[in-house]
Amino acid sequence: MSTSISLETIQSGILEKGEAALKQIQQSNTLADLDQVRVSVLGKKGTLSEALKALGQVSAEDRPKLGALANEWKSKIESAIETKKNALEILEIEASLQKTKIDVTIPSRKKHAGSIHPVTSTIRKVSQVLGRIGFDVTVGPEIETDFLNFEAVNIPKDHPARDMQDTFFMGPGVVLRSQTSPVQMRAMRAEKWPIRILCPGAVYRNDSDATHSPMFHQIEGLWVDQKVSMSDLKGTLDFFAKEMFGSETKIRLRPSYFPFVEPGAEVDVSCAICGGRNHKCPVCKGTGWLEILGAGMVHPRLFELAGYNAGEISGFAFGMGVERIAMLMHDIPDLRLMFQGDQRFLKQF
Amino acid sequence: MKISYQWLNEWVDLSGFKTSQEVADLLTARGLEVEGVERQDAGLEKVISVQIIEKVKHPEADRLSLCKVNIGKGEDGTSQYLDIVCGAQNMKVGDIVPLAQVGALLPNGMKIEKGKIRGHVSMGMLCSETELGMAKESEGLLILPEKTPVGWKIADVLGIDDTLFEIKLTANRGDCLSHRGMAREVASATGKPLKNPKVNALDFKNSPIKIELEAGEDAPQFFGCSINGVKVGPSPQWLKLRLEAIGQRSINNIVDISNFLMFEYGFPVHIYDADKLEGGIIKVRRSLKGEKLPMLDGGEVETTGEELIIADGKKPVGLAGVMGGGNSEVSDSTKNVFLECAEFNPTLVRRAAFRFARRSEASLRFEKGIDPAGHALAISRLADLVIKVSGGDVVGSGKVQLASREKLNPKKIKTTVQYINQFLGTDLAEDKILNILTSLECEVKTHGSEIEVSSPSYRLDLNIPQDIAEEVARSIGYNAIPTSIPALSGLPKTNHGNPLAHRLNTIDEMKDILASEGLTEVLNYSFQSDSWIQKFGMKSSVKVLNPISEEQGYMVPSLIPGMMKAYQENERHHFGSDPLAIRLFEVRPVFQAPLDQTIEAKSETDTGVKEHWVVSFLISGPRYDQAIQSERGEVDFYDLKAIVENLFDRLATKGIRMRAADAALLDSTAMDKCSQLYHSGQSMQVAVGKEAIGFFGRIHPKLEAELKLRNTVYWAEFKIDPVISLTPMKERAYKAWSSFPTMERDFAILVDETVPAENLIQSAIKHGKPIAKIVKIFDTYKGAHIPEGKISIGIRVIFSDDAKSLEEKQVDQCSEIIVKKWQEEFKAGLRG
Repeated sequence: MSTSISLETIQSGILEKGEAALKQIQQSNTLADLDQVRVSVLGKKGTLSEALKALGQVSAEDRPKLGALANEWKSKIESAIETKKNALEILEIEASLQKTKIDVTIPSRKKHAGSIHPVTSTIRKVSQVLGRIGFDVTVGPEIETDFLNFEAVNIPKDHPARDMQDTFFMGPGVVLRSQTSPVQMRAMRAEKWPIRILCPGAVYRNDSDATHSPMFHQIEGLWVDQKVSMSDLKGTLDFFAKEMFGSETKIRLRPSYFPFVEPGAEVDVSCAICGGRNHKCPVCKGTGWLEILGAGMVHPRLFELAGYNAGEISGFAFGMGVERIAMLMHDIPDLRLMFQGDQRFLKQF
Repeated sequence: MKISYQWLNEWVDLSGFKTSQEVADLLTARGLEVEGVERQDAGLEKVISVQIIEKVKHPEADRLSLCKVNIGKGEDGTSQYLDIVCGAQNMKVGDIVPLAQVGALLPNGMKIEKGKIRGHVSMGMLCSETELGMAKESEGLLILPEKTPVGWKIADVLGIDDTLFEIKLTANRGDCLSHRGMAREVASATGKPLKNPKVNALDFKNSPIKIELEAGEDAPQFFGCSINGVKVGPSPQWLKLRLEAIGQRSINNIVDISNFLMFEYGFPVHIYDADKLEGGIIKVRRSLKGEKLPMLDGGEVETTGEELIIADGKKPVGLAGVMGGGNSEVSDSTKNVFLECAEFNPTLVRRAAFRFARRSEASLRFEKGIDPAGHALAISRLADLVIKVSGGDVVGSGKVQLASREKLNPKKIKTTVQYINQFLGTDLAEDKILNILTSLECEVKTHGSEIEVSSPSYRLDLNIPQDIAEEVARSIGYNAIPTSIPALSGLPKTNHGNPLAHRLNTIDEMKDILASEGLTEVLNYSFQSDSWIQKFGMKSSVKVLNPISEEQGYMVPSLIPGMMKAYQENERHHFGSDPLAIRLFEVRPVFQAPLDQTIEAKSETDTGVKEHWVVSFLISGPRYDQAIQSERGEVDFYDLKAIVENLFDRLATKGIRMRAADAALLDSTAMDKCSQLYHSGQSMQVAVGKEAIGFFGRIHPKLEAELKLRNTVYWAEFKIDPVISLTPMKERAYKAWSSFPTMERDFAILVDETVPAENLIQSAIKHGKPIAKIVKIFDTYKGAHIPEGKISIGIRVIFSDDAKSLEEKQVDQCSEIIVKKWQEEFKAGLRG
């Protein structure tokens, strides 16, 4: 029989080794160190395991007492390891975040942003606004017959109204359309009334300076039906002006003359910039009004040319320069910017 | 056209208006647009009459004088004096002259400041007529009459206190091209009577000169009057002031009074030296071809046989309605005159004025049409005025009129109050409407609900009921018309399934897709110079006959020339070493007609010119708008190809074919047109069926060098209507995907580098049917360990079956077939 070790000796051994292990755990700085401590204490040949081997040498009655003590220390150590492990893990993540930190203020990797030309976006906006009250968009060719460009809108040869537009000619009876009105006649000839159309597109006039471009864009509107009145024209334009330029906008119609309408009107909108209060306003030149379109009641001659019975119907028409509207909406100072393809200008819209 | 406030006031009482601006507002509201209101004394506010008291030569300069001038009495009642340095020569001590005081801003823009000229202070500037804006040229100072008061405002001294309205008259209102015409409008609006001057009516008897009409309806009436014993000389002051106020230069009393009559009554008239008319006869006829006519302006015209001329018994003496002849002109020695007031065909006058580049105040009025019933009164008034300003006596007068003018039938326009109200959207009482029409000198008769309007003879623009409605509308003011929204009769038109709506929507969508690809929309002129178009190996078939310049002489057959202009514009203004990305697109028509043929209308609606809408775009420069240098990259062919593919994918266009441009082309003729544009080894053809609709690729290096581009450009252009026709109108339908797992195999194959990768993909799809669903190139490699002329390509094939899980064996078998076919078709082997 080997000599029995006293219970006290074993108990104090466990206590001593346990305390030492807890200290080692506290002193561990890395997960690897901690793992080493775990092995050295709880591993098969660990200090605590060694201590427990002595269990066989104590008396049967002491054995449970000693077992309880050993287990108590085992779980104490395990829990200390777990706590330390969590703390170390957090530190390690922190460290890795620090290591992979970047300068987030460095400019991004940005894709090119494209843009839609203000003429296109203005045509879209006008079409959308007037679309709400029933207009549909239609288009036609830019090279037109003299007949459709002039005669079909009641401007016969040698009519003084031809002075109003310097037209480009391509050959006998063929012109670059000077207005989008030919589309109206094409539309009326293609189908019976009611007609409710908007005709946007490029038009051409032999004129070039800061306020005139030889190519520019127009949108014309045409509404033909029974009992269409001039108050309908005014209401349509009033709605249009408010939607485009703000609900405070007012319109003013002045009598004018275009051969294709009777009566005819020039239409002004109140200046949204100064509201008529700045007599030095650069936009309206102090008048409080901006001329933006021409309009009127369709001349019955056009209905005859369209093959309609002019006695049954009436209609109104209006036309505006798209660039002019776009310039007002976006504060663009010079018409020529529209056709220079300059990205510094175009990318702003 | 300028209208004088004072002159207008002689015709109708303007005292009811508080300001001249109120008159202007009224005229504008009635459709006679006043573009500007200008005081005649603008710029003369600080110019006064002064008397020269002393004048000595400037000690330092021969041409300058030192003057002391009396500027009138100051507040203390004593005369005040100023020292002025003056460079003019024509003044002497005692002369009264205009002085622009310090602070004056003269009509010519000159600002007067206190100055020191060679050591001597000058407190203003003595003025000439030119400096006062009274004449284009003048010599020396304006010397005022001896008794002119000193210290008065110069405008008061000269009687130039008028206000001028600048009127922009519409083409239909020829009747308002005169002070009388404008006065009629004011009278109608205000209810004040028109103040017609008293006129001694001529009796049109005993004309010593026989009048003949030989042009039929082109010259339907001619009135003449002979006045003997006139004295030609300067015009009286009142006449000069009237004409100068409206910007007309005074010439002599006879010429001036005929101009006066035109601006007063609106009738262009002509006055001949009666002694220069030969044969006792004057007539209107068509010219013969090649007649020579010396003109008043010193030039000569050779007639074409088209225009109307006035001739005496021997020679042409005037271009009817345009300008009188130099051979019958009134001169200082003229004693006897013949007055002409006639009617000519507006179109013939207009053409002649254009043909001989002599559009004048007279021709303008003839073009717009003259009151056919007013000639007798106009020539009578003229005769009165001639006698008033130059003396003489009427020795006889005459007239000849065709039947159409002897008895003019007033136009009768029938309408109803109800129609007018319905057409305008108003609710006006019958009385109100009738009063308006009567105030406009219309005769109105009512028959039950119908009203019959006879318009005055001078209103050539009133012909139909709508014209009458307009007269009512502009009289009540357009602002008095209410507003309403037009009623939709029936449903709005459906755009569903409508090809036009589909086309416009697709174009809009294309633009949005290209913008989202980082391209900027441009709009370029549709005309470019011939040489610029040819630089791109193209030729325009549509010429502009009257271009602004050769730079804009030809309609474009492609958007590419314009795109390159826009590209260069962006390159031109870019400075510094930061790389510039230029990325542009345009969607517009291009123009095409049979080459070398005159373009001529084929019918009322057919020009014979074809318009194709195309989309054109280009990219160049860094791949990213913003990135650090090492990551920025440079765009290349594949960036361009991605844009093309994204465009078709996002539109859901089906059936577009793309082939390498140097491969056997789908449409071999198409490339000929573009061979100078694209690098043949880095471009592709876009085709629909067998038809090529366009190309995309790298710019041809030769063109790149010629244009001296800083960056390589990758560009594309194709027709859009074939694309639109392959873009479904229907909404996209949901498609289920296989719920069974996919399997994949990667292959590294070695193949000739001339084999297009696309062919390997197509082969795998074809032979791997139905389970090889996706085939993609994931890598390419050339270089070490790869034989010269070969390329290693990494290909991934993804297999799936819609109905069940695939088995390894199945995939292996399919893979074997694919590899075998690659071997057979392309001599491609698996890399070991």
